[in-house]
Amino acid sequence: MQESASQACAPAGEQESIVRVVAVEADCAWLEPEQGTSCGGCASAAACGAKGIGTLASRLEARRFAIGRASARGAGFDLPDLRVGDRLVVAIDDRSLLQAAGLAYALPLAAALTAAIVAQEMSGSDGMALLAAVAGLAAGFGVMKRAAARMAARGALQSRAVRRADAVHALTRIHRPGS
Amino acid sequence: MREYLLLLVSAALVNNVILARFLGLCSFMGVTTRVDTALGMGMATTFVITVSSMADWAVEAWLLQPYGLGYLRTVTFILVIAAAVQFTEMSVRKLSPALFQTLGIYLPLITTNCAVLGVALLLVEGRMSFVHSTLFALFSSLGYTLVMAIFAGLRERLALADAPRLFDGPPLGFITASLLALAFMGFSGIGA
Repeated sequence: MQESASQACAPAGEQESIVRVVAVEADCAWLEPEQGTSCGGCASAAACGAKGIGTLASRLEARRFAIGRASARGAGFDLPDLRVGDRLVVAIDDRSLLQAAGLAYALPLAAALTAAIVAQEMSGSDGMALLAAVAGLAAGFGVMKRAAARMAARGALQSRAVRRADAVHALTRIHRPGS
Repeated sequence: MREYLLLLVSAALVNNVILARFLGLCSFMGVTTRVDTALGMGMATTFVITVSSMADWAVEAWLLQPYGLGYLRTVTFILVIAAAVQFTEMSVRKLSPALFQTLGIYLPLITTNCAVLGVALLLVEGRMSFVHSTLFALFSSLGYTLVMAIFAGLRERLALADAPRLFDGPPLGFITASLLALAFMGFSGIGA
């Protein structure tokens, strides 16, 4: 999740992130995350607005997601109130985020390493260990796909709208006088 | 088993990627405002470092060394790392779009994380077997994740502290990082 002003106000147990409305339809609104940064350099790279395969803009496009009427109402507004370009704060449960990271990264890696160590012990060959690691990685991804589908079916991977982002900035200014 | 334990202590604590080798400092300062974010980033980095080190080992052992192409090592490794990140991103996106929506932001940041290239180059110096080099990469990245989580925990507490305005924000972060590095110096000599 991106570093943002909203993080300062995020309640414990939730990760917040700022998104921008890119389309509003009758029963849902499409949202795009604002660029996340680990340093100022990444932020300026995104500011150029370059498009194409592998650019940050194309990655953000790929991460578009929709919220329904119920999620919008839960945040205190209705879908017709939203306009393209509006900025919203969305949140996801901390535990869900960590579980998702564990599923996507730790599980395939553990499978690959286990397979590599077993193959190395059995054959003593680096080549066999490498092949076993690749096979373990593939198997880990297979298990990850099933487990992630179960999590998604429970709704654990769905972000929900919390409030409009402008309110966050006002609150941040109140908390940090002089900044 | 003792061999693996020594490798763990050496890679994760004594020669910690962040505090002893000073690699990956950008994400160390940028993604450590919350423990959960730091752990997520740590897991993603662990995955990328380990997977790209497997590919780097194969490239080094079967391509660069036999054909005397060592002078292309850095460029080749950068290419392998970028490919590993792209492969991971595409795999997660295809296999679970919902998971990609939740986690996708971590991966693009890792491509430019110098810790990934640093660990790959250290592996070449070590001249280890495939399993040893993979475990070294895994333990190094676990050390990275450990320090990220500790530092994020400290920063969460510091955010609530009534610090003088001169020190508020990054200055206090840098002072805390230096104290943490001093603490990790205590591991020096273990396993030598």
